[in-house]
Amino acid sequence: MANYQNDMERMIVESVLAELRKSGAAPAACGNTSGGSVIEDGVINLPDIDHPTLTNAKNYAAVEAMKQVTNARIGLGRCGTRQRTDTWLRFQADHAAAMDAVFLDVSDDFLKANNLETITTQAATKDDFLREPNWGTRLSEQGIKKLHEICQQDTRIHEQRFQTTINKVQVQIIIADGLSSRAIEANIPEILPPLVQGLEAAGITVGTPVFVKNGRVRVMDQVGMELGCDVVLNLIGERPGLGTASSMSAYLIYRPTKETVEADRTLISNIYAGGTPPVEAGAQLVDLIQDILKYQCTGVKLNEATK
Amino acid sequence: MFIISSAEQKLISVGIDIGTTTTQLVLSRLTVRNSAPASVIPHMEISEREVLYRSNIHFTPIDDHLLIDAEEIAKILEEEYRQAGMNPWDVETGAVIITGETAKKENAANILEAVSEYAGDFVVATAGVNLESILAGRGSGASAYSEEHHKPYANIDIGGGTANIGVFDGGRVIDAACINVGGHLVELEKGGDTVTYIAEPAQRVLNDLGIELMIGDKATQKQLIRIAERMAELCVESIVDRHPGELLDELLMTPALKDTYEVYQVVISGGVADYVYSDYEPVAISTMTQYGDIGPVLGWAIRKKFAEAGVTLAKPLETIRATVIGAGIHSMNISGSTIHVNEETLPLKNVQVLSPFPKDHMPRDIDEIASMVSETVDRIHSEDPDKILGLALDGPAEITYKCIRDLAEGLYKGMQNYLRDRGVMIVIVGADCGKVLGQCLDIVSDHHIELVCVDQIDVDEGDYIDIGSPIMGGRVVPVVVKTLVFEKGNK
Amino acid sequence: MKLKAKMYNRTFEFHSVAEVMAKANEVKAGDTWQGIAAESQSERVAARLVLSRMTLEDIYENPLIPYEKDEVTRVIYDDLNQYVYNEFKGYTLGELREYILAHSGDEVLRLGRGMTSEAIAGVAKLMSNLDLVAASAKIRQPARCNTTIGLPGRISYRNQPNHTTDDVNGIMASMKEGLTYGSGDAVIGINPVEDNPENTAYLLKTVHEFMEEWKVPTQACVLAHVTTQMKAQELGAPIDVFFQSIAGTQATNEAFGIDAQLLENAKEACRQGGNSLGPNFMYFETGQGSEVSLEGDEGIDEMTLEARTYGFGRHFMPFMVNNVSGFIGPETIYDGREVVRADIEDLFMGKLHGLPMGIAPCYTNHMRCDQNDQENGTMLCAMAGSFYFMGVPGGDDIMLNYQDTTYHDDASIRQILGLRPTPEFEKWMENMGLMEDGQLTEIAGDPSIFEK
Repeated sequence: MANYQNDMERMIVESVLAELRKSGAAPAACGNTSGGSVIEDGVINLPDIDHPTLTNAKNYAAVEAMKQVTNARIGLGRCGTRQRTDTWLRFQADHAAAMDAVFLDVSDDFLKANNLETITTQAATKDDFLREPNWGTRLSEQGIKKLHEICQQDTRIHEQRFQTTINKVQVQIIIADGLSSRAIEANIPEILPPLVQGLEAAGITVGTPVFVKNGRVRVMDQVGMELGCDVVLNLIGERPGLGTASSMSAYLIYRPTKETVEADRTLISNIYAGGTPPVEAGAQLVDLIQDILKYQCTGVKLNEATK
Repeated sequence: MFIISSAEQKLISVGIDIGTTTTQLVLSRLTVRNSAPASVIPHMEISEREVLYRSNIHFTPIDDHLLIDAEEIAKILEEEYRQAGMNPWDVETGAVIITGETAKKENAANILEAVSEYAGDFVVATAGVNLESILAGRGSGASAYSEEHHKPYANIDIGGGTANIGVFDGGRVIDAACINVGGHLVELEKGGDTVTYIAEPAQRVLNDLGIELMIGDKATQKQLIRIAERMAELCVESIVDRHPGELLDELLMTPALKDTYEVYQVVISGGVADYVYSDYEPVAISTMTQYGDIGPVLGWAIRKKFAEAGVTLAKPLETIRATVIGAGIHSMNISGSTIHVNEETLPLKNVQVLSPFPKDHMPRDIDEIASMVSETVDRIHSEDPDKILGLALDGPAEITYKCIRDLAEGLYKGMQNYLRDRGVMIVIVGADCGKVLGQCLDIVSDHHIELVCVDQIDVDEGDYIDIGSPIMGGRVVPVVVKTLVFEKGNK
Repeated sequence: MKLKAKMYNRTFEFHSVAEVMAKANEVKAGDTWQGIAAESQSERVAARLVLSRMTLEDIYENPLIPYEKDEVTRVIYDDLNQYVYNEFKGYTLGELREYILAHSGDEVLRLGRGMTSEAIAGVAKLMSNLDLVAASAKIRQPARCNTTIGLPGRISYRNQPNHTTDDVNGIMASMKEGLTYGSGDAVIGINPVEDNPENTAYLLKTVHEFMEEWKVPTQACVLAHVTTQMKAQELGAPIDVFFQSIAGTQATNEAFGIDAQLLENAKEACRQGGNSLGPNFMYFETGQGSEVSLEGDEGIDEMTLEARTYGFGRHFMPFMVNNVSGFIGPETIYDGREVVRADIEDLFMGKLHGLPMGIAPCYTNHMRCDQNDQENGTMLCAMAGSFYFMGVPGGDDIMLNYQDTTYHDDASIRQILGLRPTPEFEKWMENMGLMEDGQLTEIAGDPSIFEK
């Protein structure tokens, strides 16, 4: 609020504003409280939308309670008929995060830090990947070669370590960026340790996880056929929503073939800090994979088999 | 087992309430189902609660020695099961609660155990005035009102011996208290005016009012009205003015309600409630003492005093049956979908819950975790080596692999002394990470311990819980929170 | 029929009507993906030149998908008004463009009855964005279920209170907020997560109870598969309208699990056992690119297939047709420019079919598109007389993971263009104290006004 020379001036201004509001020319339902952006150490944080930002609710607690039962952007309030500044900025921030999750690549630093080798698909660029949905389902020539190198090498390492004659990896984990690189960076470091530790504790052999760049769900079929493993687990970035840019899915397939269809897959979605925490999902997947190996199937068949 | 074999499971649940004046039973059917969408990790919830059978309302049998008459109780239950067309072995869960003055009887604990054994497979013996207040408020609908209207609702369950107050906001209990007032603390000849019994708390009310009445005396209409009004005032005082006067302070069996919130509306349940929500007026002594007590006039007084205080009384869904319905259909919780169980260990009864970590400071360091655990556990364990102990915690410092792995190591290390004797490690964690914590504990202990790790259950230090056998194809376990502390007399 | 055209020094030759139709399109990712798009801007315009010289009869006599092979083609041809067709069959598409722009809305509606869907698509391909808006704006064929949408001076909204787990309290919370902004006079429509009859019936009953308690004059719908909704009706659910996604080829409709007979049965089930007044009982959702995505495109371009979808849909006299071209994905609509163009093409083509068209000028997060594109599309479609838009809290559909018009946008469009809700709904808002003289009041936007 501006500084006024005296009380009289302020009263005049306020009465004019009140008149304008009646005629709809001045922001009506706007109050003083903003979305509650916190400034820490001189840095402005994103406005919070966990709490209502409308100012003159008949029952504020009720709106607060409504926000507890939905993530929908309600209780926003308005200025005239438009969104208030902070919720509008937050919307843009969430959309930016979602777009960046899709259009940016998983960083090389991340892959290096997590010991993940990259396998390429026929979609050489993000643009190809988005425009030609089939390209991301097929490995490139080079990708196939590299897959064999890494995974066969792994079998040998396994034999050395355990001095057993198991010559096959039972479970191959692939990590595909899909429609969210952000999901990969956010969840993989948390989901892999309990997953690998759990599978090994259960006596299941696991191949070295690899990263499939510009990969889609169905690329797992080719991986499975190339390697001859029992189960392929594809940890893949989901199409981001606003505020869920880091959500990841886990697709599982038992011994895929050319005839494999979508109903043959088992899917666990919504893996991220705001859904099923990745570290918990990792432990859950261990149980699921044990079921799959026991019943030797996935998808609709697995649901039937366990009935 | 990860995959859920069936979409839902139905459980028969019993609630039994042995109160100061009345004994009742309710049989209901609970439906447990997965509320998560198909592709998401399952989340089990009690989706439906259907009351199948409401028993007659029996007078609680008291024998010559003023103890609960066990034989008569057994007869009542047998007859009611027969009427309902059900057998105790059909019953999978539920709770027995002994309330009010009856809870003070010397044989209360034994009766409770015996009835819970008789009543069904996983029927839990519960007691404690706060639990009673909570169950009554759930059964009366006060809890649901608070959720529906987003405002604090207080439920006062006024029975023969106690007035149990439960306060709810947004469907969750936020406060509870209990006052030693009730309709049956003064007994009279049925329909007459001769006093036959004055309980000790009632005597305090008489003293406060300066009324001299002895057993055998004839009470006047005016005296009974004054007694009832005074009791009603205490109820109003505890809700409206949170700083109790001398008499209320004496009759409170628990700490007073906190003064951090304002109650929006009050719901009255219990036997007395039927007279609160009727147009009954105490004009003739014959109706006032028709049940041989002051119940009707107390109901009238409650209506009058709350109206005078300007407090709206909301209508209960259940009156006299609120507590038993609460016990029957609201006592069982379902763990999160993430448990890690060596199945033969379950069920486990009378697990004492310990919370080794302060509410908002969860340590990260393995040794710090271990020492906090061993400090808490070893003390209780050395006092009573037979006690089954469970560790309750909100969650790791952060839901990350590192924190959970360290937590597992710390918990395991801290439980060494206890585990040497008992071998079962019970962990109840609030956050959604029971599966991975269980996995880590299993690995940290080199698969050498029996382990029950349950998540998404709300428990507190001092609670006793029973953990049932797994349901829904082994994914989840039923958990009943109970308390076995029998309050004797005042506070 | 001539298939050659000269553009300055270059001659372009085409080989079929389908090829001309595809190459005449504005740039669309779907056409590129199918490999049927024009290779240069000159070829694009050459195709339009060829198209402009084709007569209505040329298009009629050269069906893109044979009558014998495809149910959608059969419905389009069987429904055609032969009298009007014969009157106009000698007109070229270029002449029809001029006729449409020069004549009144009712005259244009009459013409539409004699045009095959392919011809309607062909005319639209010859039109600029402003042509499309100008033509759409004057065509109005209102439709009635419980209330009437599409009346002059009115614009309506579908209140879309979706929830990630179908939590009924969460759904009701969003719905209440939307109602206070004036969103929901077209329909209260929930996309369920769980497509089963019990859930559908439960949600419908809950919304209806609210509508009855607060006397909200509108219609409700749960957008499960039509067969699920019919089963919900058998369970006692109150049905105002039946929803179904439809497409422009038989193959794609089969992938959706529907055919004409099923939709006819649904319409009858609503007429005979429904809750509403009628006579319009169906709610269709369509979008450019669905056929390509489901591999049911038969080599035809997505815009023409969208027109065929309308030709199929108009047979069932729907209450609403809702276009969601921006929802399909970047492989069919790549960016903001493409989606805005698709929205106004669809609005025009639908209205010329005589349909009660509403648009969801929406986008997903894997498109090169943002809120400004979406708002531009909304404003254009509003000027072009879209009967309704969606209303999504904060524009963020948390269940379908895409962005659509907000409750705020709904209110803004009414204010900018001086439009009102349906008459019954406006009166309801006035009674609730939410609207005065077409303006939102102070309390609008507060979902807690429904708390007692």
